[in-house]
Amino acid sequence: MAMYAQHGHGKSYRIDSALATGSIDGVIFGARNEKIENIKSCVDKVREESGIVFLDPQFHVSALTPPNDRFLPDYPYYKAGRTSADFIGVKKISSHVKTTLDFELALQLDKLLSPTVIFDSFESKWCQTALNLADASLEYHASLTGAPPLLLSFVIGEEALESRIELDDFLDQVTSWETVSGVYIILSRESSSYSQRFEPERLANALYLNYVLGSINGLEVINGYTDFCGLLFRSVGGSAFATGWSQSLRQFHKRSFTKHKPGGQQAKLRYTSIPLLNSILLTELQQIYESGRLDMVLSGVPLDKVITDADSLEDSWNALYSELHHWESLKTVEKGIGEDVLTNLSVFEERITSAQELYVMLKEDGVIFGPQTRPDHLKEWIEAIEKFREIASL
Amino acid sequence: MPLPTITERDIKAIIPEISSAVEIGHGGQRIVFLATYSGQPIALKFALLSDTFTPENEDLEVAILRAQRETQILRECTSPHMVKLGPIGLETTSIAGQNVLYYSEEFIDGQALNDVLRSEVTLHTQEVVRLGLQMCSAIADLWSLGKIHRDIKPGNIMRRANGTGYVLLDAGLAFDVAGESISAGFLVGTMAYFSPEQFDYTSRRAMDFRSDIFSLGVTLYEAATGQHPFFSPATSTTHLLSKILKQTPVPPSSLNPAIPATLDKVILRMMGKSPHLRYRRIEQLREALAQMQEAQ
Repeated sequence: MAMYAQHGHGKSYRIDSALATGSIDGVIFGARNEKIENIKSCVDKVREESGIVFLDPQFHVSALTPPNDRFLPDYPYYKAGRTSADFIGVKKISSHVKTTLDFELALQLDKLLSPTVIFDSFESKWCQTALNLADASLEYHASLTGAPPLLLSFVIGEEALESRIELDDFLDQVTSWETVSGVYIILSRESSSYSQRFEPERLANALYLNYVLGSINGLEVINGYTDFCGLLFRSVGGSAFATGWSQSLRQFHKRSFTKHKPGGQQAKLRYTSIPLLNSILLTELQQIYESGRLDMVLSGVPLDKVITDADSLEDSWNALYSELHHWESLKTVEKGIGEDVLTNLSVFEERITSAQELYVMLKEDGVIFGPQTRPDHLKEWIEAIEKFREIASL
Repeated sequence: MPLPTITERDIKAIIPEISSAVEIGHGGQRIVFLATYSGQPIALKFALLSDTFTPENEDLEVAILRAQRETQILRECTSPHMVKLGPIGLETTSIAGQNVLYYSEEFIDGQALNDVLRSEVTLHTQEVVRLGLQMCSAIADLWSLGKIHRDIKPGNIMRRANGTGYVLLDAGLAFDVAGESISAGFLVGTMAYFSPEQFDYTSRRAMDFRSDIFSLGVTLYEAATGQHPFFSPATSTTHLLSKILKQTPVPPSSLNPAIPATLDKVILRMMGKSPHLRYRRIEQLREALAQMQEAQ
C-alpha cells in the first residue's frame, strides 16, 4: 500500500530526495510547520513528483495550552485556546468543520483530513467532541460535489487503549457511519522519549483497531506519526503509515505541541536496522562493525553503501543519510506486506524472532546497547501479537 | 395479565367488514386470527396494550402514537420480503374491560421457517443463501427507514407456499405468536436470537441494522446445520446469555459437511460479537451471498 513522510519542522530537501528515490509514496504536511503562503506550492511540488499529498490541519493544537503552534495562527480554521465550550452545539461544530475542510479543498489534495481534538479516554467529553467533529465532517463532505475522499482524523492517547470495552464502543460508532471511507489515526504516546517500546496490551488493541477498521471493515487506515510499529499496523490491515525525519515525527507526543522551556540534546546519529527492528545509535553500529557482524544488521537498502564503502562510520554518516535511510529501510519492508493478515503476522513474528537471536549474538560479542535501543520492544511486540491474535480470534 | 378471550363475534362487532375469523395462533399476550376482510384473507393480530406497548411510566397515548408510527413505517416498506400491513391500521379497543390493540397484515400462505426446519431439519446450502439474500432485502428496507427489526428468528420468517421465498414478519411490533425456535425451545424463544448488544441495557450507543445481521446469522446457522449455535436443551438462560456474549460457535461445516467454507465464513462473520466485526453495510453481506449464489 503506502508509506508517507510525516512533515514537520525543517523539511529542507528531505522530501524531494525521498520522493526521487521512491522511498516514500507521498507526504502528510503539517500546517503548524509550513507558512500558509507556502503551503500551496509545497503541495504542488509533491504533486509534480507524482506523490500523494495530504494536509494534516492540526486543528487539535487549538485545544492545547499553552500551544506551540508556530504558523498555525495564520490558518483560517485555527484559533488558540479553544475550550470545550467552543465545541458545544451543532453550529459551532459545523463551522469548525467547514472552515477546515474548505481550506483543504482549495489546495487540491488527494484526500481531506477532518479536524479533530485529542482525547485520552474513549469515555471523555473530548472523545465525544472528536466523534461529533467526525460526524459533522462526513455530513459536510457529503454535501460537496467532486471533493476528494475524506479521512476522519482521530488523535488517541495510548492510555485509552487499555479498555477493550470502550475501544469496542468506539469502533462500533466509527463503523456505523455508512459513508466513511477511511481514517487517519494518530496514537499520542505517553512517554516522549524515542523508543520502539509499546506496552503489549495497548499495542494489541492498537493492532485490533487497525484490523477491525482496515481488514474487517475495508476502510482506508493511515497511521500518522509512527515508526516500526507502522509496519505492524500495516500487517494487520492498516493501509499506510507516515513517519518523519525527526524523532518527534515518528511518535506523537502532546509535549511537542505545547510550549515548554527550550532545551534538550541534539538527536544523536542513528542507523535503522531492519534485522534488529530498531533504530540504533551510530556508536552501537560502530561496536557491531568492530565485532565483525556489520553485515548481519544492515538493512539491505541502497544507502547502506555509504556505510559499507566508508573508512570511518562517523565521518561518512550524517543526519540526512540517517533520515533518508530510515525511510528507505521501512519502505523496503512495507512493500513486502501482503493482504493476508495471518501470513503477514507469521512473517513479522519470524522477523522478531530473528532480531531477538541477533541481539543475543551481539550481546555475546560484547556489544552494549543503550536503554532505548535494547531488544525490550521485541518481547513486547511478541506479547502484543499473541494478545491480538486472541482478541481477534486469529 | 392475559388477553381476554376474543371470539369471532367480538371481532365482527369491532370490525363489521370481517366476515369470518379463525384463531391460528395464541401466545400469552397475543392472538392471531386468519380473517376474511371484504372477501380477502388477512392476518388479524391482537395484543394486550398495557403489556405490549406501555413500558412503566409511559403514557398510554404516547405508547399508542409510537405503535402507530411503527406501523406507518411498515406501510412504507417496499421489499417483497417484508410483510405488508393489511387494510386495518393499528387501532385500540376495549374487550372485557381491558385495553387491546389490533391491526392487520397481509396473510402469508405458507409455513413458518421454524416449522419448515422441524420437518426438514436443514435447508440445502442454496436455499440458505436464498433465505439470507431475501432477509437482507427486508433488513435493508427497514434500515432505509431508520428502523431495525430486533426480533429476526425462524418463527418470524414465513416461507411462501408459492415457492417465491421468504417473508419477514412483525418488524418492531414483536407481535409474535409462533415464538419459539425449533431447537431453542419455547421459554428462551426470542432471546436465543438476540445480538449481544441487545442484552446490553447500559449501552449508550444506538443499535443499528448490524444487530439484525447477528440475528439473521443465528437463523442461517440453524437453517444450515439444524442446530442452534448457542442453545441446546440443557442450556439455562444464564448460560445461553453467556454463550451469546462470549462463545464463538463451531463453523457450520463442522456440523454439516455440505456447507462450503465461503458460507461458513459469512455466517460466522454475521455472528461477530461486536457490531464492528460484522458487515458494515448490508450491501457487503448481500454481495458475499450473491457471489455464492452465482458460484452454485
